[in-house]
Amino acid sequence: MDPTDKIPAPERRSRKILIVDDDRLNIRILGGILRNEGYVLAEADSGEHGMEAYEKFRPDLVLLDVMMPGIDGFETCRRLKQVHGDNCAPIIFITARNESDDVVAGLTAGGVDYLPKPFKARQVLARIRTHLQNQILAEQQKLLVEQLNKADAAKNRFLGMAAHDLRNPLSTIRGLAEILRESTDSRIAPADLELLDGIHDTSQSMLNLVDELLDLSVIESGELRLEPKPCSLTDLIAKCAGLRSGDAAKKRTRIVLPAAGPGIRVTVDPAKMQQVVDNLLSNAVKYSPPGSTVTVVIHGDSRRCGFAVQDQGPGIPEKERHRLFSDFGRLSVKPTGGEKSTGLGLAICRKIVEAHQGTITAENLPGRGCEFSVALPVLS
Amino acid sequence: MNFTGTILLVDDEPHIRKFIGLVLRQVGAPRIIEAGDGEEALAVYQREHPDLVLLDINMPGLTGVETLQQLKAADPDCLVVMLTSLASRQIVEETLALGAVGYIRKDTPKDEIIRTLSEIIANCLDAGEPAEPAP
Repeated sequence: MDPTDKIPAPERRSRKILIVDDDRLNIRILGGILRNEGYVLAEADSGEHGMEAYEKFRPDLVLLDVMMPGIDGFETCRRLKQVHGDNCAPIIFITARNESDDVVAGLTAGGVDYLPKPFKARQVLARIRTHLQNQILAEQQKLLVEQLNKADAAKNRFLGMAAHDLRNPLSTIRGLAEILRESTDSRIAPADLELLDGIHDTSQSMLNLVDELLDLSVIESGELRLEPKPCSLTDLIAKCAGLRSGDAAKKRTRIVLPAAGPGIRVTVDPAKMQQVVDNLLSNAVKYSPPGSTVTVVIHGDSRRCGFAVQDQGPGIPEKERHRLFSDFGRLSVKPTGGEKSTGLGLAICRKIVEAHQGTITAENLPGRGCEFSVALPVLS
Repeated sequence: MNFTGTILLVDDEPHIRKFIGLVLRQVGAPRIIEAGDGEEALAVYQREHPDLVLLDINMPGLTGVETLQQLKAADPDCLVVMLTSLASRQIVEETLALGAVGYIRKDTPKDEIIRTLSEIIANCLDAGEPAEPAP
């Protein structure tokens, strides 16, 4: 879809101008200048009538005399702005030359410009054209933002639907491969077993990717619902480390946890925060050489608390740091055991942590490795 | 898994029936019968009176929820475990309220499916009274 199709071009319709002035002669002069240019006009002879005419006529621009009986131009302008807010058409004040200083001060009432009397046709047209152009650009921008928001929502819906529909067949492929691989009564040649492992592992990593896309679509569409409850950060981290110990053992990597104790209590959505911890631990194992030590530290005081995961990997290349927490922001650093990476994990972590009003940061450690820190506010 | 009865496996996707069927056989389920939709499940239930029903939530035609309601209406004591995926997680609570004894995420690894199923069955056998929804 080409969004420019729907953008109103200045030529597509005649622009409407409302002239508010108690002096009939001014209206006649301005009318003569503007009608020749194809503008559609409406007139009012006081601020009060101007307000009424605005409602009926819905102008694209207002020419407003300052000195009028009844409410003056500044007050009319203030009232129009109050009623119509950001959608109010641009207002240009009409003033006698010697009132210019007042008008400049009066622009704070919400006008965009002023036209000094006596009118000079070219100056009038140039100023009006400029402000109408601005108006058109603003309309176009608003329309574009609306269209982008819609497209983004459609993308998220599509992503969600596609991911849901992909999960079932993928998990069936993985499951059938699992069964075939473990069946003892069939005679599968070792070479074929390797192929089977390939089917299993590939469908598993595709499932991971689909799950992360699903997470992203939920978060992006604003449907991430946190269910915070008080829980022990120490226990939560220990649980995640337990689940990751298998992967770590395969690389002879040790995960060192803080000593068990009463620990620090936080109010978080436990499942979502586990996802963050798990992701950081899995990354630490993934990017550290075999036989490394991954260290988790927990810290806390009365205002903030959090945890940090330290690895012994190559650290974060400074040039790529800006990509670290962005969607699909894969860095040049490679997993050390051929593990897979989608480039979405840290983006999801950041979004989850930020949904908790927390922050996530990464620093290279002196010497070797890096540290990912999550800081969470202490909720009363 | 200590379960010796007949299991009725209902899912519209043949490969999922195949997969779950193989998992059930691996853990020693002696007799498994299958149905491809809700209507068929109701007919097979009337004919075979299985001891346990594994019922997919998201099916064309009669949905899992509707099938569950009709099974429960025909036989309030029937043991039904829902087969769910991530997409149908919102409906799970509803099925438990309607009398399903538990649910299995069919998109989880095989060992997890076995563990969940064993737990549900152990609970049902211990309780003796199958109508209590799982927590």
